[in-house]
Amino acid sequence: MNLAELTARTGLDVLDHLETQVAIPVLDGLQAQGDLLVIPFDIVADAVIPPSDDRWRPVPRAGIEVLRGAAGGNPHTLTAEHGTCRWTDDAADRERLTLGMLRATRPVYLIHPEHGASGIAPGTYVIRRQRERAMENRRRPFSVGPVRYIAD
Amino acid sequence: MSPAHDRPADLLEQALALRDDWLGRALSTEPADRPAAEAAITGLYRLVGAPPPRFVWVPSPGAAIGHLDDERIDVRNLPPRGEGPLPVRLADRMMELRHRLRGRFTRRMSLAPPGTGRREDPRAALRRRVPLDDVLHPVLGEAVRATVHENVGGPLRAEFAQAGGAFTWYGQHDAGWLTAFDVRCRVGLLRTSDAEDAELGRWVAVARSCGWWWPRDGTCVVAERPVEVHTEPVPGSALGVRRLHHGDGLAVRYSDGWGVHSWHGTRVPDWVMTDPTPERIRQTANVEVRRCAIERIGWDAYIDQAGLTLVNTASDPGNPGCELRLYSLPPSLLAAPARVLLAVNGSVERDGRRRRYGLSVPGDIDDPVAAAGWSYGLTAAQYARLQRRT
Repeated sequence: MNLAELTARTGLDVLDHLETQVAIPVLDGLQAQGDLLVIPFDIVADAVIPPSDDRWRPVPRAGIEVLRGAAGGNPHTLTAEHGTCRWTDDAADRERLTLGMLRATRPVYLIHPEHGASGIAPGTYVIRRQRERAMENRRRPFSVGPVRYIAD
Repeated sequence: MSPAHDRPADLLEQALALRDDWLGRALSTEPADRPAAEAAITGLYRLVGAPPPRFVWVPSPGAAIGHLDDERIDVRNLPPRGEGPLPVRLADRMMELRHRLRGRFTRRMSLAPPGTGRREDPRAALRRRVPLDDVLHPVLGEAVRATVHENVGGPLRAEFAQAGGAFTWYGQHDAGWLTAFDVRCRVGLLRTSDAEDAELGRWVAVARSCGWWWPRDGTCVVAERPVEVHTEPVPGSALGVRRLHHGDGLAVRYSDGWGVHSWHGTRVPDWVMTDPTPERIRQTANVEVRRCAIERIGWDAYIDQAGLTLVNTASDPGNPGCELRLYSLPPSLLAAPARVLLAVNGSVERDGRRRRYGLSVPGDIDDPVAAAGWSYGLTAAQYARLQRRT
């Protein structure tokens, strides 16, 4: 699958300067798409607790918007062929960075207009967002500040 | 007259010239043609059965707010068609016309697969025998809408809404939707009745003669056009889309000083242009604004001015050829120790460059890979397994 085929199939668009004819690698390891990270579940199994089976739902044809940029545009969208992927946003994460988990029986794709697409091999994965240390609060100078989530 | 499809190349050239003329009007900084605007607006009032309004001219949208004492119009709870306050009736009328005319030329677009001319140079697309309608669709629609409605109008609307403004007609910026109809009419690709022609002509006349306007019962507030508009091409846009950018002052400035700052298309607060200090950047929550401010200073100068010292560098796992650079902030009694990780985007921008991003990380991290891992809640060893970054 290349980006042109994927955008034709899903109706989702990417910016026109991205290379659309190169095959999208389908990987079973860690991959980053901008501020999101796709993590094989076993890597974070000690930090993330998946919910019970009834809290997972099929990924619909239109895809699932996993995260949208702070300005309202540029979503990361998870897409899958019908009946090949389930999604939950109810996972518990010790680090509080998990947006959701996916279980795929066929390759599925995460698409973003600026970053293009990431191919995800069958398996169970956690999708985490990125954080940074919030800039210090001047009124509480010695506290270690809370974190801030990145959503560009 | 010969059939419209006999000379597609000529028609395309005509359409492109008319489109460019519209873009010129949309970005115009000329004084308004007040008699033309008032005549056209009076004609639109007449269309919805209202008498000619009293006109109030203001220098900018910001200046209009003081003249609009109406209640915010509840768009979720509108009265039936043909009733309600004048702006609601006018909006109904406008949308009706738009839907009717649009229905006559959008028949195939949802079926056009990528690479059939939607995003390529229109002349090249036509030479490849892409049908003229498919070539014109993005050129007159998407490209103009992106430049005028989104890239120029969007930041102004945000600024206006923040100041408390409401329910606006965009005058020159209505070119974003009018261009597609007007150009097709003028090259003979859209058939309209005499009545439709006259109605469209009034909207066209307003858009070609003034800035934003606020029709209300009895009174119409109309703004002048801006006196400065600074744009740049969106790099790599085959359709010639432009965005606001000015590194030294307002990107759109009206004569009373109202307007917006924009850094390569991102709306930014005044201080990013007037006084972008490392301290202000540190206190800014919005990562995009911070990035713009740092780019305005320049990363190298910023690292210098902010007193950052390089702690360590490492190659970025999954992002071949790119480096992670970890800097420490200068020690300060008032601040907990902090470090900044400078990373490079995994995907290229339209201009072929990769953006650099600075992320704040805890002060006790010495390894750039550990810092990148921390930002996703992973250890250095885990993050080092990253296979791909886009």
